Amino acid sequence: MVDLIKRAKELLESSAVKVVIGYEQGTGNKTRALFVEKTEDADKLIFDSRCIQNLAAYVTKKEVKEKGKMAIAATLPVMRSIIQLASEFQVNDNNLLVLGITPESNLIEFANLVEVETFVHQYQIEIDARNKEMLDKLAKMTSAERWKFWVDELAPCFKCYACRAACPMCYCSRCTVDFNQPQWIPVPSTELGNLEWHIMRAMHLTGRCIDCDACYNACPLSIPINLLTKRMLVDAKEHFGNYQPSLKGDNLMSTYKPDDKENFIQ
Amino acid sequence: MSKIGVFVCHCGENISATVDCAKVAETAGTYDGVAFSVDYKYMCSDPGQNIIKNAIKEKGLTGVVVASCSPRMHEPTFRKACAEAGLNPFMCEMANLREHCSWVHEKNEATTEKAIDLVRILVEKVKYNHSLNEIKVPVTKTALVIGGGIAGIQASLDIANTGHKVILIERDPSIGGHMSQLSETFPTLDCSQCILTPRMVEVAQHPNITLYTYAELESLEGFIGNFKAKIRRKSKSIDEKLCTGCGQCTTKCPVKKIPSEFNEGLGKRTAIYVPFPQAVPNKPVIDRGNCTYYIKGKCKVCEIVCPTGAIRFDQEDQIMEVEVGAIVVATGFTVKQPDFFPEYGYGKYADVITGLQFERLASASGPTLGEIRRPSDGKIPEKIVFLACAGSRDPAKGIPYCSKICCMYIAKHAMLYQHKVHGGKSYVFYMDIRAGGKQYEEFVRRAIEDDGVNYIRGRVSKIYEKNGKLIVSGADTLLNAMPVEIEADMVVLATAGVANEGAEELAQKMHISYDPYKFFAEAHPKLKPVETNTAGIFLAGACQAPRDIPESVAMASGAAVKVAGLFSQDELTREPIIAVVNRQAPPVYSSCVGCFLCVSACPYQAIEKEEIKNRNGEVIKLVAKVNPGLCQGCGTCVAFCRTKSIDIQGYTHEQMYTEVMALLNEY
Repeated sequence: MVDLIKRAKELLESSAVKVVIGYEQGTGNKTRALFVEKTEDADKLIFDSRCIQNLAAYVTKKEVKEKGKMAIAATLPVMRSIIQLASEFQVNDNNLLVLGITPESNLIEFANLVEVETFVHQYQIEIDARNKEMLDKLAKMTSAERWKFWVDELAPCFKCYACRAACPMCYCSRCTVDFNQPQWIPVPSTELGNLEWHIMRAMHLTGRCIDCDACYNACPLSIPINLLTKRMLVDAKEHFGNYQPSLKGDNLMSTYKPDDKENFIQ
Repeated sequence: MSKIGVFVCHCGENISATVDCAKVAETAGTYDGVAFSVDYKYMCSDPGQNIIKNAIKEKGLTGVVVASCSPRMHEPTFRKACAEAGLNPFMCEMANLREHCSWVHEKNEATTEKAIDLVRILVEKVKYNHSLNEIKVPVTKTALVIGGGIAGIQASLDIANTGHKVILIERDPSIGGHMSQLSETFPTLDCSQCILTPRMVEVAQHPNITLYTYAELESLEGFIGNFKAKIRRKSKSIDEKLCTGCGQCTTKCPVKKIPSEFNEGLGKRTAIYVPFPQAVPNKPVIDRGNCTYYIKGKCKVCEIVCPTGAIRFDQEDQIMEVEVGAIVVATGFTVKQPDFFPEYGYGKYADVITGLQFERLASASGPTLGEIRRPSDGKIPEKIVFLACAGSRDPAKGIPYCSKICCMYIAKHAMLYQHKVHGGKSYVFYMDIRAGGKQYEEFVRRAIEDDGVNYIRGRVSKIYEKNGKLIVSGADTLLNAMPVEIEADMVVLATAGVANEGAEELAQKMHISYDPYKFFAEAHPKLKPVETNTAGIFLAGACQAPRDIPESVAMASGAAVKVAGLFSQDELTREPIIAVVNRQAPPVYSSCVGCFLCVSACPYQAIEKEEIKNRNGEVIKLVAKVNPGLCQGCGTCVAFCRTKSIDIQGYTHEQMYTEVMALLNEY
């Protein structure tokens, strides 16, 4: 992506940013995150359809933040994540510049996060047909069948926490599972403990998850854990209205609006 | 090592009838860390409390579990006993063996087992209890009274007379409320305005009362003793300091055909107006919706005639912020209009009027100067029908409750009619006559026996017009539901008293609860009739339920004494059961990541952002901080915090976890 490389070089040369976060060729047919600090490294930057990792997961990392102002090559899901992170006071215009990549693969630069938000709001978060079908299938099951489905799916999970590491929203310096006084979620990988971890993860992402599938893509066992967050997305929409990450701080789950449907209370 | 004392109460027979208290005490005695365990007939009695105190002193107890009734009942008692024996009162926990066990289960082994479980949970919890100290918060000794009807007036005067400052706000241009509209009052038939206006003037002149008319509550923050209220002072379009109330503007205003709210639409007023001659303050306001200048951009007659140059067309609404310690809500009620009743003509018959309109007709200051004349043609009605329970006590209309005041004012109306129209005939359709109250029944009997009002027990199914008469068709249920038809000249509907428009919105602004009919909810229907569930906010008058004048006044005085009681203290003591965001050693400082979702989740606006700075004053970290004065300990933030950085003192994660594990683990 010539434009991106050129722009990255300009930004680094003028010291407008200290690091540009993008993708490079990884081992095999995979891409991986690249942190460009020197102009000459910018030539390694690539962008193509394989670049699906959510780079927003890096902007909250201490090691990256410490370098100074960051620029990030951001696809639509990455931009959504950034807006959500900004609404949670994790990034701002002073420490992050967004080099947007439109769904048509064009480079688009934003002066500030408000512009990013405006751009992001042109697109609704839609669950793809294959996953929708899966959600419908799960919804039609009896609760016992559904329970068995999840116990079986989650049984092989050995809690590598790759899902957590890949998720831009899992930036907490102390995750609930790391909280050990008391240890609400057990550490070992057990049938119940696995369920507890994944249910907790889905709950904590409700009203925040922008449905980028990074967790599923990162899972070495390809457990469809993204179905849990997708289900929460659907439920949250039903009860509290449509979800779009927003700088207004009107978080779906923590704010009350008079037009919240709250059908579950009646 | 903990030394815990377990004190199992029999509560007379309340607990011991179904729970084997001796066994509970004996089992509890075997738990790790329990140093003393005993059962006793009445733990809350003096000898019972002495058992606790002596055990604390003699055994050196570090924690106490009292297994008895609900903590709502006796937690203060037992905490005080512990404190007197030298133990921090928050080291005392209560296991509710009565409401949660003995009262709801039958006598058998399982009931005793449950009681043992309940005790064990608390024994394990109390091991993790910490000494806590009560929180002191200052009290702002100024009261805000919302609504300037008789209830608001009475409450304001009573509070002001105790020496405390009062801010009284009223949404209309004058105080007085519905009482100022009434002609005479039951059961003594004294003139309403004659007894009210001196009170209104007293309010205006009282050195401790600041009166803002044409003002509404914009928003409310804070908590008991420390509220911050924003008041919107709607623009009156006049400079009140310059205006002398001479009335030139109101006489010269060319827009003269606006239905007068004070006269319930039976009279007219001008666009710049004083609602009624005895208004307080007696200064006009411009009704911008009807003023020619605001609609068409020219006129300004009032500005031309004003001798002091007091008209201010460009005046804007002012938002004022005041700090108050207590609030009395006295926003009153309203009545249903005839258009609510399809069976009585949807409000299309001019001579079918409401009780409040009849008050204006009967009032000497009303549009007819006190003569009873029909609104349609000004004729004196020869036959008049009064309908009680128009809407009230009618579940089909969504108003199943009794509006309470109608039986009495209808008797008064009929009586006034008979006094004013000699030879006139009056009829009252009623369901029951509810005349409970001092001299009330006598008053109704007087109407029937001395003044010859015809009372017909039954309801009216239909009113329709025929040959210039209103045909009232109903049934007399005392004559076997015999159909009755009366050709009346005028009909008065005692329409249901309902909550004011905007009552729901106001309640939400103040975080007070309300009933299904939007009347504000008292904290307890019998024992806390003037309190709300929000500490520091009190109710007076008909905003809580339909009320007559004596009741409204009594309620207002009741609310006032609650306010005065609150203001008699310089500081309030609050339980330290509040949320706390953790602090850790550097370089972490706190596990809080500063997402501040708790800030928006907090229903009490109690969470703020705190900057953690290094020695050079540079901000290292931004974290959440709970204001202990505002926090109510609801725990919403705790549930919301992903990093588990917030704990409720006395209900920490550790304590909750321990309680759950105590239940799950086998002993």
